[in-house]
Amino acid sequence: MSPALLEVDGVTKRFGGLSALNDLSFEVGEGEIVSVIGPNGAGKSTVFNVITGLYPPDEGDVRLRGQSIVGLSPNRITRAGIARTFQTVHLFPNMTVLENAMVGQHSRSKAGVFGAILRTPAVRREEEAIRERARECLDFFGSRLAGYRQDQPAFALSYANRRRLEMARALATDPTMMLLDEPTAGMNPSETLELRDHIVRMRDELGLTVLVIEHDMRVVKGVSDRVVACDYGRKLAEGTYDHVANDEQVIEAYLGRRHEELG
Amino acid sequence: MSSSGSAQPVDARLSGFATLPWRRIILVVLGATIAFVVIAGAYKTLTLPGDERFSGDFWVDQIVNGLGQGAILALIALGYTLVYGILRMINFAHGEVFMAGAFISFFFADAYVKSGFLNSNTYLALTILLIVSIAGSTLVAVLLERIAYRRLRNAPRLVPLITAIGASLFIQSAFRGFFGPQPRGYPLPTLLEGSVVLAGISVAKVQLLVFITAIVAMVALQLFVNRSRTGRSMRAVAADSEIASLMGINVDRVVVITFIVGGILAGIAGLLFALAFTQVVFTMGFRPGIAAFTAAVLGGIGSIGGAALGGFVIGLLQAVGPSLFLKGFGVPSENSLRDVFVFLVLILVLVFRPGGLLGTGDAEKV
Amino acid sequence: MQPGVRVGVIAGVVTIFLAAVGLIGNFTELNIIGEEVTFAQLMLVMIPLVAGFVATAPKVEAGELVTFTPQRAAMVGAVSGAVAGAVFGAFVVFVDAFGVERVRSVFLNVSPVLMDYLTSGRPALTAAAILTVISAIAGAAGATYRALPDAVRRPLGSAIWVTLLFGFLQRIVPIALDQLEVERDWLYSKITGGLTWVGAIVIALVAAGISVLKQQKGGAIRGAIVARRDRGAEGPRITPLSIVLMLVGLALVLIAPQVLGSVISDVLGTVMVFALLGLGLNIVVGYAGLLDLGYVFFFTLGAYSLALLTGATLNTFIGSSEPVISLNLNFYVAVPIVVVIAAVAGVLIGAPVLRLRGDYLALVTLGLGEMIVVLVTSPWLVPLVGGPQGMRDITSAAIGDFGFRDPRHFYYLALAFVALALFVSSRLASSRVGRAWTALREDEQVADAMGVSTTSYKLLAFAIGGAIGSVGGALFAVKIGSLTPASFQVLVSIQVLGIVILGGIGSLPGVITGSLVLVGLPGLLREFEEYRLLAYGAAVVAVMLLRPEGLVPNVRRSRELHEDELDQDRWVRDVVLDEGVAPTASPQGEGTG
Repeated sequence: MSPALLEVDGVTKRFGGLSALNDLSFEVGEGEIVSVIGPNGAGKSTVFNVITGLYPPDEGDVRLRGQSIVGLSPNRITRAGIARTFQTVHLFPNMTVLENAMVGQHSRSKAGVFGAILRTPAVRREEEAIRERARECLDFFGSRLAGYRQDQPAFALSYANRRRLEMARALATDPTMMLLDEPTAGMNPSETLELRDHIVRMRDELGLTVLVIEHDMRVVKGVSDRVVACDYGRKLAEGTYDHVANDEQVIEAYLGRRHEELG
Repeated sequence: MSSSGSAQPVDARLSGFATLPWRRIILVVLGATIAFVVIAGAYKTLTLPGDERFSGDFWVDQIVNGLGQGAILALIALGYTLVYGILRMINFAHGEVFMAGAFISFFFADAYVKSGFLNSNTYLALTILLIVSIAGSTLVAVLLERIAYRRLRNAPRLVPLITAIGASLFIQSAFRGFFGPQPRGYPLPTLLEGSVVLAGISVAKVQLLVFITAIVAMVALQLFVNRSRTGRSMRAVAADSEIASLMGINVDRVVVITFIVGGILAGIAGLLFALAFTQVVFTMGFRPGIAAFTAAVLGGIGSIGGAALGGFVIGLLQAVGPSLFLKGFGVPSENSLRDVFVFLVLILVLVFRPGGLLGTGDAEKV
Repeated sequence: MQPGVRVGVIAGVVTIFLAAVGLIGNFTELNIIGEEVTFAQLMLVMIPLVAGFVATAPKVEAGELVTFTPQRAAMVGAVSGAVAGAVFGAFVVFVDAFGVERVRSVFLNVSPVLMDYLTSGRPALTAAAILTVISAIAGAAGATYRALPDAVRRPLGSAIWVTLLFGFLQRIVPIALDQLEVERDWLYSKITGGLTWVGAIVIALVAAGISVLKQQKGGAIRGAIVARRDRGAEGPRITPLSIVLMLVGLALVLIAPQVLGSVISDVLGTVMVFALLGLGLNIVVGYAGLLDLGYVFFFTLGAYSLALLTGATLNTFIGSSEPVISLNLNFYVAVPIVVVIAAVAGVLIGAPVLRLRGDYLALVTLGLGEMIVVLVTSPWLVPLVGGPQGMRDITSAAIGDFGFRDPRHFYYLALAFVALALFVSSRLASSRVGRAWTALREDEQVADAMGVSTTSYKLLAFAIGGAIGSVGGALFAVKIGSLTPASFQVLVSIQVLGIVILGGIGSLPGVITGSLVLVGLPGLLREFEEYRLLAYGAAVVAVMLLRPEGLVPNVRRSRELHEDELDQDRWVRDVVLDEGVAPTASPQGEGTG
């Protein structure tokens, strides 16, 4: 049996005296959509940061297709096929929407200094290809990020569009796997549902594997093949949505507050 | 529409010239070279043939000198570290704050020596000079904060730094315009001429004064920061200015007070420097400013104890370093390269241990 | 009334400052217009005038924009001016009472000459009173200026500043006119050196006329530009007019040395060298966002490398001697080698250093700049670079018999390199590399997460910038023909930074403008040489406080630097621009992200 696409294996991460991640292990298989849920402060974003190389784990390993990616710089990991969005939107505010997306294609292109200066036909073709690919990724979100919008500076976008742009930019890195960090935070119900469909489309149309951190259980229920529940940096339960939703420890972690929603 | 599938296989990272950890290699080579120079140089210097070798007295002298200069640097470094702790910015113009006090006190000192007051009533004269120097430095520091820095508290980080550079240039040029480019000889009261012998070591009286004053000032600062209410406010703002303001602390006021304290220390340092080197000139703030900043970083920027420690270390390094490390290699006129040492230390500390000696060892990188 | 007083006090203090620094006393003879308007007079009148203008600025109080009625404005302006004059007058009285000589023993520029000038022989109190009155009138004038209707104010403003500009350019324009054999005595007086009254009036009228014309045509164009900018499009707008203007500009640039003579060409040559340095630093600071305070490092490296590669000799007391390393290459062969040396040095230095945070990086680079200066001056390296005595016999970069040491020829050599650097810079800016730099500059961590190798691109910018700086150094060496460490001070780094900042970080035309203003003007107005650094420092601080994007801003950078202000407008835009999203969309977005 081939190894899962992504393996998080016994990862521990401490900040000062605090253990943000505590011997956390789970896998994501190719083509799956896996959700990570848990109360605030459960260490979910930290796991993303460790996976994408922002900082190394104190213990444990992270493997992509069986090969350890611990210690690689973030840009290397992106190049290897893992793309991410951030919990608070981190766009390049003064670049246009299109330019933001084009940055995503950076690691899939190679024009260097001499190419830039000489602007050979090959370089110009590559630039066109970058632009085209960026447009494709923006068009994934339909009319939202299309047309004249693409020439607007990113700071001019509405909140929801910014989140979409961040995802489009991540898509532009031609990843094998998308890491989405609370993609629907701050969105209204209709935007949330729209996004839920986008996530499924990412797997169905683009063939991506998706790992999502989410709080909104309607989204979790609607997209996930599997759910991993965490608290205090440890895994509480793993399995289908129904299985996890009914797990004792998980319910307790949410202090029964979400008991109604989980039902 | 499917992804173009051009993701590179993970294996790619294991091959290829570009994936060698170049930075690591360069750092290691750099570190090794410097270690070699330092150790070999010291060894060679200390094993020079008898007539070329430096005597024990020489080393003692250099060490005493170094400590004296270090004391002055420590006082200036404290100013940098205090402002950095509160505003997270390097007050590039702090060297000019130091210069201002010394320079302004010169005019009083000059008048006093001409009227004989300096020598007839030395203690009183020195006290007045101290007050004047402190006033001058503090005035410049407060003006800096008010005019140049206050509006830029929330600006992108480069902006206040560039402003500080401009301010430094401006203040230097202003002093040059006011008072002329000539260096001025600072008078030394007869009471401070000559040296005393302490525990078998000959120490110039001026150096003794420098030591005592600096230590007293540092102790006073420590007490102020740790015991007084204002000091507590300062520490609170340094830890988190937003929360501090929510707790009712007037952040603006604390910032001004920090600049004032830094100015006071710089003013003291200015007078001591003037007495020790018997000269003031409009450019005198630049090199000590950089050395002091290096000291603050060496000790761990934001840490008061660190700044003090760093000051003494840099002072010693400046005094002893060239002789110890370079003479052995036959470098002529090694003292002209003294400043190179300071800069090298700065670079080395920031590259290998940005948190400084008393810091944690891994400083915030971005 | 209160703000008027406050502004007035500040203005008065500024005037005292200028007097103490010598900017008034030393310029009582610099005639701007006729013999009546000298630089000193201009200072004394302009400061209260500006005070009046500033004091009557519209303010936002309790959410409403408060403006002054013309009458009240004039009063506030007058008060402001009067206070300024009174403060300065008090200074005059004080000095007089205390005794000029005694003050002068401390403040060298407060001289009897200055006092005579200020008092014109009258008793100090009278002089103070007169100053106060004059300042009051000036203040009122400044306030009234603001209150004038646009149609009157713009031409008036143009008339004034263009006339003054021509007055300041009294060292260039008459010479140019002479060379072109155009009659110019009616415009610039040979006796006073400045403009004649006739000439001043003519210029004023012409400037006002042009301003009126622009106003009529300008409205529509401005509207179109503003709309375009809001949409984010940044491309140059190529119209027949702009092509003509560009050709004219090009022609001017090319024939300048022939028209303006040797002396001015010399200054222009230096302007070109500094423009080249500015372009190099612009890549490091403007494109990649790295604050490099040690640019003099590359400048020095380039100059001395070139010298050693082209067979220059060491300057000694008795003549010259050979350096330890000496090659005899042709200039045009040596330059690429210098570029390579600089790039390698940039990478070696940058590798450990570039991952440091902004302020630390600045200090470290400053240290490097200092280090190379110390090394080049040190006795230790005398056999290589000549120590304080320096080097001489630098090549004149001759092609055949055509040498470039002559200022007029050198200008073209430098111009060629500047053009090359401009070309390279603009190509890089609009390429994948430039995009990576912008991303890196806007958010380093995120850029890294998006696949941009931040360390590599920082190094790239540093190395390219350094290479360009080194070429600047090499050119400088050719221009002067010899090298002394005195030319290679840390101050050079700061001056180049000043050029980049003043012109607008990241803006190519801005760098050229910055060099013209900060290097060209002082070069041409020799009296101001002493105050150059003072002006630099003040200019840098002023620019950072008021307009961080510089004189000729790069649009993108302006947005970066005014993010707070733009933030506030954003949520309005969100609701209005975004069709299809209900206004319940929460305006939570952060600008900086």
